[in-house]
Amino acid sequence: MTRDQDTITVTNPPAAAPVRRTGWRRLTMVAAIAGPGLVAANAGNDAAGIATYASAGSQFTYGTLFFMVLVTIALVMVQEMAVRLGAHTGKGLGALIREQFSLRLTALAVFCLLLANTGLVVSEFAGIGAAFELLGVPKWAVIPPAAILLWALVLFGSYHWAERIFLIMSLAFFAYPIAMILGHPDWGAVGHHLVVPHVEPSKDFILLAVALIGTTVSPYMQFYAAAGVVDRGAKPADYPLIRADAILGAVFACVVSLTIIVATASAIGGTGPLDSAAQAAEALKPVAGQNAELLFALGLIGASALAGAVVPLSASYAIGEAAGVERSVSRSFRDAPLFLGLFTAQIVLGATVAMTPIDVIQLLIGTQVLQGLISPIVLVYLLVLTNRRSVLGDAANGPRYRVIATAVVVGVAAMSTILLVQTVLGWFGLA
Amino acid sequence: MSVNTVLMSTSARLRDRRVTLERRVTASKAVRTSLVSLAGLIGGPVTNQAGEEVGRVVDVVARLYGPDPYPPVTGLILRIGRRRTFLAADAISKVHAGHVRLRTARVDLRDFVRRPGEALLARDVLDHQLVDVDGIQVTRAADLYLAPLVDRVVLVGVDVSLPTLLRRLGPRRWQARPTPERVLDWQAVAPFAEQATDGPPEVRLRASRTALHRLRPSDLADILEDLGRSERQQLLGWLEPEQAADALEEMEPAELENLLREAAPDHAARLVDEMEPDEATDALRDLTPEERENLLRRMPTGEAAELRRLLTHREGTAGGAMTTLLVTVHRDENVAGVRARLAEQAEHRTEIDAVAVVDDQDRLLCDIALFDLAVAEDTTRVADLIAWLAQFGLPVTVHADTPLAEAADQLVAARASSLLVVDDVDRPIGRILADDLLDAMLPERGRLHFRRFLQ
Repeated sequence: MTRDQDTITVTNPPAAAPVRRTGWRRLTMVAAIAGPGLVAANAGNDAAGIATYASAGSQFTYGTLFFMVLVTIALVMVQEMAVRLGAHTGKGLGALIREQFSLRLTALAVFCLLLANTGLVVSEFAGIGAAFELLGVPKWAVIPPAAILLWALVLFGSYHWAERIFLIMSLAFFAYPIAMILGHPDWGAVGHHLVVPHVEPSKDFILLAVALIGTTVSPYMQFYAAAGVVDRGAKPADYPLIRADAILGAVFACVVSLTIIVATASAIGGTGPLDSAAQAAEALKPVAGQNAELLFALGLIGASALAGAVVPLSASYAIGEAAGVERSVSRSFRDAPLFLGLFTAQIVLGATVAMTPIDVIQLLIGTQVLQGLISPIVLVYLLVLTNRRSVLGDAANGPRYRVIATAVVVGVAAMSTILLVQTVLGWFGLA
Repeated sequence: MSVNTVLMSTSARLRDRRVTLERRVTASKAVRTSLVSLAGLIGGPVTNQAGEEVGRVVDVVARLYGPDPYPPVTGLILRIGRRRTFLAADAISKVHAGHVRLRTARVDLRDFVRRPGEALLARDVLDHQLVDVDGIQVTRAADLYLAPLVDRVVLVGVDVSLPTLLRRLGPRRWQARPTPERVLDWQAVAPFAEQATDGPPEVRLRASRTALHRLRPSDLADILEDLGRSERQQLLGWLEPEQAADALEEMEPAELENLLREAAPDHAARLVDEMEPDEATDALRDLTPEERENLLRRMPTGEAAELRRLLTHREGTAGGAMTTLLVTVHRDENVAGVRARLAEQAEHRTEIDAVAVVDDQDRLLCDIALFDLAVAEDTTRVADLIAWLAQFGLPVTVHADTPLAEAADQLVAARASSLLVVDDVDRPIGRILADDLLDAMLPERGRLHFRRFLQ
């Protein structure tokens, strides 16, 4: 936000809420100053994200790096458009879609978001299950209580503390950059793959590429980023800072993703697809040695639990906003049936599917593929909204920006379509 | 109770229930047949007298901001071939569910030009935010209902129910059928239409606006927080500055900061001016120095100087949380006189908690709580009251730089509901109220909000 020297030197916290801030509060303040862009983009580095990046490293070593650079550019543009909409209209994406498109198109957008998010919730619970399995606890004993606990924490209010604990636990993943350096990757190859395009014409590669898009450019992130900007009460004049935050957030998130790919590539690269959480933990060995699995499990539990609450909540908010109904977790089911019902349903469904005896890593990546397929639809809405002068006025996309943004959306859509066609052909034994 | 009586009373209850249900079904059927759903009308055919299709309905124009209690439909926007034209309401013979019949075969088609107060119902109102004044919340119009009267068609209600939204997702046949589930009377909503040019001043007399004026400040604050940027500014424009200021005092600091920034500077300055000084200071403190200066410059000099002085106190100290609104009296006045002085300050009733007695040099002598004034005789002199109060000890005061936590301890020790803030020579400069202390010291409570992730 625009605060100049004068106010910074004052000891007041920048949010200037009239509350006395404790040490804990101050700690989360640090995370909060980072801004909605950063929070939203980094929410991509959750259980499913880690699985996808680690799989990219183990399966294709450095082969997906250039693709990740492209994904980074896409993420930067998409997040920038989302926060621009939020800052200039003071409304969330769900509300804007309802006002600007027909109700049927709104329903489509909302349905896509709900589908993608439920998939994500499944993967978050699968992540919790996988983490406990690393520690020797069977997942059937963990997932149901975890689901009930998260649901109750959010609805009955003591989530405040839990959120911080999850946040601290998920910091375990910041061991990846260190692991990357300690793992002595082939820096030459890393540099080469970062700049030189590399495509393998195999189905596995395309599948993983779509998953990388899906986990990095998740539909809910755009809703989340726009809502975050609105909630922070940013005005158009703050926009340069909001944009900087969104861009930095996106770039930062992608750099972390890249380090995960490189770290896994140098640890277990070329061993084929990842098939257990233990393998993903392998890459952390240079940092934690024998405790790598414990460190990884901690991070996975924290990240999954955090996202397990945020993801279904954000979908419920977006949908409640689009429908124009009451949306607050402090209401009763009678007052906010749609909002609380959706939240509950996503958690129940997510936990139930995560309980089924399926390959967890494949499930996690499968979720990201689903997200990758749905992303283009949400991106089209975003693009159309940011193109409209009736919505954004002078802040609407300029002609040059419009071309680039369209290219990004078309690119993402093309990847998804190729995957879809391949999958369908696969059903008939043609691919 | 015998089994027989239980059975009888049960059957009687069942019969009653059936009767009520039947009555409700008849009533809702009657309502349903007389209402025309706007959502169902859009895209529907427009036929001439001979029953031939002339075009399709694109939108319905109504005078939203006018003197009428229910906005009259003033025309239709039609699509004829590839052309869009405006058709004035006097050419309409009847509006049915899903289609419009015209009274003549020849119609006068013009280009649509918005007249004062007019709005396009489908584009500006349907699916947009509006304030439900009775339910006190911000909601969205799922459907609008028109009622065809003898000589015209008026907009009577807004449907905000979820089933209606689902109905609109269905096939066209469903869309035309009204489903009055939760319909708000048009008088009970405050709609926004960004594009509409505002009507004449009597707009302010409209029922929904008067209802808005009856809302409690905290409810109004909730509504303001939920609205989008342009809707929020429209609503603020409809309110009297005093009422708006009361609502602003109840808003979350971040939301308030935002609202002041996006409002026109003159309007924002007016609002800050109307706020209680301590709340205004808090609000100004959250702005950048330029924004703050910009607002202060537009305020009356006296008020601006006052706020500037308050702004020098740090947040988290007694000075930062105090109100400068003080009622001071001298020892030779009598209680009736003091009460009269208080009566003049009735508009600040929430900010006045006690009366400070000062000597000729404005130094503090005593702080008389309202209770003590209430129980005293009219003729009692203030000096006598002071003498009586002396048995309970000297008034407890704090300095402007006293930390709030310490002020709170003092307040508890004094068993009072407010404390005077005095300067170095014991002259009262403000008062810190218990509720401001609570506001400042309570941790953020309540349950999880989405925004908590971001703040």
